[in-house]
Amino acid sequence: MTNFEKLNNKTVCSGCGRLQDSLKLCFDCQRWQQAGKFLLKNQACFTYNQAMKEYMRMYKFIGDYQLKDIFTKILQSLIKEQGMDIIVPIPVSQQTWLIRGFNQVTAMLESTSYQELLSVALVDKGHQSARQRKDRLISQQPFALSRTIDDLSGKKILLVDDVYTTGATLYHAADLFYQAGVGEVRSVTLAR
Amino acid sequence: MMDKELLFGRMITCPKIQKTDEEYQRTASFIKGVCQRCGQNQRTSLPRNQFYCQACLILGRVSSLDDLIFLPEPNNFDGQVELVWPGTLTKQQVQVSKDLVKSMEQGRNHLVWAVTGAGKTEMLFPLLLKAFQQKKRVALVSPRVDVIVELAPRLAAAFSNLSQVVLHGKQTTPYGYTQLVLATTHQLLRFKEAFDLLVIDEVDSFPFRGNPMLQYAVQTAQKGTSMIAYLTATPTPDLKTAVKRGNLRVSYLPLRFHQQLLPKLQIKRVNDWRLKMPKLLKKQIEVFIEEQRQFLIFVPYVSDLIIVERYLQDYTQLKGTTVHANDPNRIEKVQQMRQKNIQFLITTTILERGVTLPGIDVLILGADETTFSENALVQIAGRVGRSHERPTGLVLAVVKQVNLSVFRAQKQINAMNQRGCQLKKKFGVKDELSPLSAKD
Repeated sequence: MTNFEKLNNKTVCSGCGRLQDSLKLCFDCQRWQQAGKFLLKNQACFTYNQAMKEYMRMYKFIGDYQLKDIFTKILQSLIKEQGMDIIVPIPVSQQTWLIRGFNQVTAMLESTSYQELLSVALVDKGHQSARQRKDRLISQQPFALSRTIDDLSGKKILLVDDVYTTGATLYHAADLFYQAGVGEVRSVTLAR
Repeated sequence: MMDKELLFGRMITCPKIQKTDEEYQRTASFIKGVCQRCGQNQRTSLPRNQFYCQACLILGRVSSLDDLIFLPEPNNFDGQVELVWPGTLTKQQVQVSKDLVKSMEQGRNHLVWAVTGAGKTEMLFPLLLKAFQQKKRVALVSPRVDVIVELAPRLAAAFSNLSQVVLHGKQTTPYGYTQLVLATTHQLLRFKEAFDLLVIDEVDSFPFRGNPMLQYAVQTAQKGTSMIAYLTATPTPDLKTAVKRGNLRVSYLPLRFHQQLLPKLQIKRVNDWRLKMPKLLKKQIEVFIEEQRQFLIFVPYVSDLIIVERYLQDYTQLKGTTVHANDPNRIEKVQQMRQKNIQFLITTTILERGVTLPGIDVLILGADETTFSENALVQIAGRVGRSHERPTGLVLAVVKQVNLSVFRAQKQINAMNQRGCQLKKKFGVKDELSPLSAKD
């Protein structure tokens, strides 16, 4: 059994936070940039190694909700460090609420004040993990801004998700906020 | 919707929002807070007033967002199973197997109290054959996964036209509908009113013993009319009580497959063996070296392994190592012993059962410490004398002081041997038991 591998003070891609040899943009982030996106400058607490995959299997897929407590502290302190205006967790669909019974992201944000500005708009968003990379990248916008906030303009938004895999989910969410006129969107994930 | 066969006699979770055909029986997953799969009341909260069962989570989550769905067991088997096992049973094994068949016909539960190395599995064959031919669905379960893994190929080889599936936590092949299910006791939680015959091997071992969830699983997995056969060399007190009260039938098998008695448990007192290597141990080791005999030394704690290993390092001609439950090379080390590449293993109770090493002797250091229960000592003694060539051997309990467990273990072995002697007379078995000597 491998251990969880922390990413703080490690050399990571400045676009997505993945562990690599230099601070330069990784190939995937260069592609996001070429597609005209503002980079999310994602930061993650841990690598998505075997231990983290096993954790996610137990936590999300088996649904052992109490495992949320393990990383609450480290995730929340990474969020705090970013000093952003509004914390926005990635939502889960109504279907997931009725099957899994919890949002794996908000479950870890107990003492952080966040705003659930996003909702799942597609009837069947499907699970990202069940898709191939290619499918994920070309997928439709799965989210909607759930209510109009008086003034998002110029605000700094921090998106929070459990795992950054291709970035597709987070970039879809970021698109909505940029359309609403925010100043900057960045993201934090538990694992990359 | 899923293949219906896969639900026969099974109890599976299904989200409340998912629709199923009318013929599927749906029940609430919790009634008065009790999980309907495992019978336990150990809930963990989810948001929005929902909750899930922590007790049986290892088999997948049962939550208040789910129902349990079930299809009755139809016994869709053709009954064309044949026994192709080429061996024969001893007279005593035949007697026990007849007892078992009789109990099945009368729908009564039955305990087989058979000494270690009695050939319990083979003795089940007539019972199993009868059950298979009567199109009964059968589960052969054990708390110990190694027992199940070892049994599977033996049963597959013994019967023809038999469908079987092996279920345990680490297995990766998917579930299929079969007449025989080989599984760890945990897996029974996924069944409901499925089995006409349920055989539980090593019923007294961890984690089954004293585990209410697993006892519940057994009750739920059987049909109302079914039979449970319990197999063990060392029954728990509650099984013994059930026998005494006449609630449970019993067959004894006090002779081993080679028709010989169990080796006696000898007891020797020493001073603190952790401080200094006892003379007694030195002498015995020298005997082992001279006779080139393989041996196991049982110790109470992992921390004792190194102490004893140091004692034995003085004997340069001796090759051996230590083993314990979390030793990643556990299986390889036992294999080394089996292939006679090493002469000894120093071990914790992890090797107390399920290990057959022909022709070995056993020392139990600190047999008077709480690690060694009466039944553990009987099981350990059962490692000795498991071959035709050497049906006996040395079992020596080294103690600071004789205690009740050691004393009772000795009595239990003697009592089994007494039954064995009577049986040998009854069936006219020649007494070939040679006294322990330097030459056997």
